[in-house]
Amino acid sequence: MSYRRILAIVIRHLYVWPRNMDRLMGSFGWPILEITIWGITMSYFQQNLSNSLSVLTVILGSVIMWQILARTQTEISIVFLDEVWNKNLINIFSSPLTKAEFLVSIVLLNTIKIFFTILSLMIVGYFYFKFNLISSFGLYLPFLLLNLLLVGWSVGFFVIGVIMRFGYRVQELAWAIFLVTQPFSCVFYPISALPPWAQSIALLLPSSYLFEEMRNILSKNSINMSNLYISFTLNIIYLSLSIWFFSAMFEKAREQGRLVKLN
Amino acid sequence: MAVLQVKNLTKRFGSFVAVNDVSFELKEGEILGLLGPNGAGKTTTIDMLLGLTTSTSGIIKYFDLPFEENKISILKKINFSASYINMPWTLKVIENLYTFARLYEVDDYKEKVKKLMDEFKLTELKDKLVNDLSSGQQTRLYLCKAFINSPKLLLLDEPTAFLDPDIADIIRKIILNRVKNENTSILFTSHNMTEITELCDRVIFLSHGKIIAEDTPEELAQKIKFCKVRLLFAVENNKVKTLLENYKYSYFIENKEIVISLDEYKVGQLLGRLSLAKLKYSQITIDKPTLEDFFIKVAREKI
Repeated sequence: MSYRRILAIVIRHLYVWPRNMDRLMGSFGWPILEITIWGITMSYFQQNLSNSLSVLTVILGSVIMWQILARTQTEISIVFLDEVWNKNLINIFSSPLTKAEFLVSIVLLNTIKIFFTILSLMIVGYFYFKFNLISSFGLYLPFLLLNLLLVGWSVGFFVIGVIMRFGYRVQELAWAIFLVTQPFSCVFYPISALPPWAQSIALLLPSSYLFEEMRNILSKNSINMSNLYISFTLNIIYLSLSIWFFSAMFEKAREQGRLVKLN
Repeated sequence: MAVLQVKNLTKRFGSFVAVNDVSFELKEGEILGLLGPNGAGKTTTIDMLLGLTTSTSGIIKYFDLPFEENKISILKKINFSASYINMPWTLKVIENLYTFARLYEVDDYKEKVKKLMDEFKLTELKDKLVNDLSSGQQTRLYLCKAFINSPKLLLLDEPTAFLDPDIADIIRKIILNRVKNENTSILFTSHNMTEITELCDRVIFLSHGKIIAEDTPEELAQKIKFCKVRLLFAVENNKVKTLLENYKYSYFIENKEIVISLDEYKVGQLLGRLSLAKLKYSQITIDKPTLEDFFIKVAREKI
């Protein structure tokens, strides 16, 4: 594995990031808009309907965490789609860049970009709604964030694999998949609120455990560590499967000549 | 020394055979043309040579090393450009070249990029976005990228397609200059037969995935035995036409000239018949067969 080739891909996308309005809106605009809308709505409910501060806290925490997850999985797929849209796929995969280096580079790129997204959400949350992400989650924050990133990477790699298999016609999946997983991730409600059939799906998703424990931390100031361990274990399994799936679809695309046709 | 050896290379997509048992070698410093009509298997061959598509069977060796087992070290020594690829159009020229220099792990890459930009006359365009470049400037950039790692072997798939003749000529001169200075081997595809004749030392002709001819461009042209005799007559063309039709010559009219296609050895006989009929021409031109004639004959008749 070559760090120079990994950096080549990371820097190539970082060149574009500050001057591409689409990407800036994705990293900052939409997440900030989302937290603002939810923050104002919940402030209104808090003032008029309830005295409970925890509802606002829980919703804002959920919105921030969900944005981190959604942005991660979308960003991962979009880095790949960016190369497809730029007709650059042949250039990079006819260079010495390996599949593993490509995956590492998009993970590294995503980590850099999501750091700034988190920072912007923390600032907006704190200054507008007095929500302090760090003090709210304390020492659990790095573990929660790591797990959210792992979920996002797994879904992102899976989406890239699907695009390699089915081509352009499924590229919408890059944006749509998080809408499909959101109800089962139980972002704003407990798993028990779902119908039984949906609960069994939710229990297979590492994100549902994370949001459950996030609510526990914010509302009850307690945590069930076993849920975090289950989430982490599921994440490792899904990440391994998604890397395998990406690799298998990449090889299938090479075999069937689809890698070239994607360009 | 062969920089590239291809043995019995075959690619099947289901029941369709895109490349069928193709074998050839490319020597150091040689420019080899890969010719053939659309769908002949040229681009699929190049895709396999780059590892973008896997072969169904056969062996690809670069520098005596099997490709799949030594892919990374081999890809560092070769490069590629084509008319159908692009480079990120929201990146500046210099950002693109830096990116590819890093991908190919070029040492002292800033200096290398500077030199190449000078050579390809891109220095003044270095801060322009790719999107804002003309077709000719973009092609120069793609070729500049192709030379970024000082490749031992360059695969060029119709690099001058869509360019006007003047720019295409400049590009050809740049390529030839690099080959001369760096001893780079080139595998070159083009539909421009003049270009192939000018650039290539040797030509492989593909049709329906198979190699059907392999020789120098001149020797391939020689395989066409007919030539074109162009005659401009002072007399009315009708008398000439009658004579040609009586003797069953194949002809057509082009810019007031009568163009007769016939076997080279029959030219004397034709001129004798015209003389006997007292049909005097004011101008005569004999077109020798070219690579283009060979291409057309093969594409139409599949010899």
